[in-house]
Amino acid sequence: MSCEQARLQIGADPGNSTAELERHLQDCESCRQFRAEVRTLDANIRRALERPPTAAVTARFTASWRPWALAASVLLAMVAVLAVWALRPSDTLAREVVAHVQEEPESWLARQQVDARSIDGALRSAGVRLDITSDRITYAQSCWFRDHYVPHLVMQTGQGPVTVMILRNQHVSGRRTFHEQGMSGVIVPAPPGSIAVLTRGGANLDAVTAQMLQDVRWLPDAP
Amino acid sequence: MRNSRPESPVSSIGERLSGADPQASVTQLFESMRPDLLRFAHWLARDRSLAEDIVQESLLRAWRSRDTLKDRGAARAWLLTIVRREHARLYERKRLELVPLDEALESQAPAKAADPEGDLFTLRNAIMRLPIEYREPLLLQVLGGFSTEEIARELALSSTAVLTRLFRARNKLRAFCGMSPAPDVSTSEAPS
Repeated sequence: MSCEQARLQIGADPGNSTAELERHLQDCESCRQFRAEVRTLDANIRRALERPPTAAVTARFTASWRPWALAASVLLAMVAVLAVWALRPSDTLAREVVAHVQEEPESWLARQQVDARSIDGALRSAGVRLDITSDRITYAQSCWFRDHYVPHLVMQTGQGPVTVMILRNQHVSGRRTFHEQGMSGVIVPAPPGSIAVLTRGGANLDAVTAQMLQDVRWLPDAP
Repeated sequence: MRNSRPESPVSSIGERLSGADPQASVTQLFESMRPDLLRFAHWLARDRSLAEDIVQESLLRAWRSRDTLKDRGAARAWLLTIVRREHARLYERKRLELVPLDEALESQAPAKAADPEGDLFTLRNAIMRLPIEYREPLLLQVLGGFSTEEIARELALSSTAVLTRLFRARNKLRAFCGMSPAPDVSTSEAPS
């Protein structure tokens, strides 16, 4: 069995094996490593598929399913929808932000301070720098949101945790507040993008929002 | 609009049946699998409302063909097959738009390395972006528990073609998750 044959078999069905494959693996370190990696990936695939995709994940695909057969009525509906979106652009954005935060419920529970390197990693991929100390940040991830990686941070305040998402590619015309799914928040323009700040409790978001507007630095070489 | 969940024909039929009627247990059997079917349809169709329609239509078809189900232990695979075919019918009718993963990967390459490992949200996104020819066999294998040969029969492909598609599906997901993809395999994808 060649390495190509072994990798085809492993990649196609990592949970199964044959005597021939096992013989090959005994003598091939790189294929053994490949199998270990694919099995780890496969375990994550199974975890990912355990739940149906969330609205945040499916959002960009939904529009492509509209049937041509109902073109006239659909066009009319789309005009209406677009008109609503044009008037209140951040409502849809707010829903997707809330859906994303719901997707990561563990983010609210983190209490341990995130080290500066991890924070930098979450920010760098989005072309962002923050001029704040990190001692209040207990969650820092780079999350896939509306076709871009965005920093998803949780900061501890005297009134509980507050989530911040720095949205370089989402433009809003003005400040918008929202209340959805037990969360309240605000999305504010921060040219060239915007910043979303959310809380599950009654934390006053004004101070955090003002601080973020002051401290966010957009790097010129964003991906 | 498909915002409201349509009334279940299976449930409606079941409500008309007495508890002693053996058909009522078929109804219960089908209904007990609705969550699994919906999840499968949702990953296939990438749209919750559409998935509900597909499952509803599939359960109706299954109910009409219930006499062909001889082994209740095979009901899950049988129903998943019906759902897949119903989705394929819809797919053929609507000529759905595909999102090429390779293009997405190219545009996102600089950010991949910074993505935290084990980010299921990223992986779910990547699965959603897999073209249907890769996503479908992967879902049949992982969610449906189908063997390579069963997938080949269902998709009218050779076993080699199915292996290739499954390999490429995982290879694309590896790339999306920041791992170096294995060299591609060169195999024929001729129908069986």
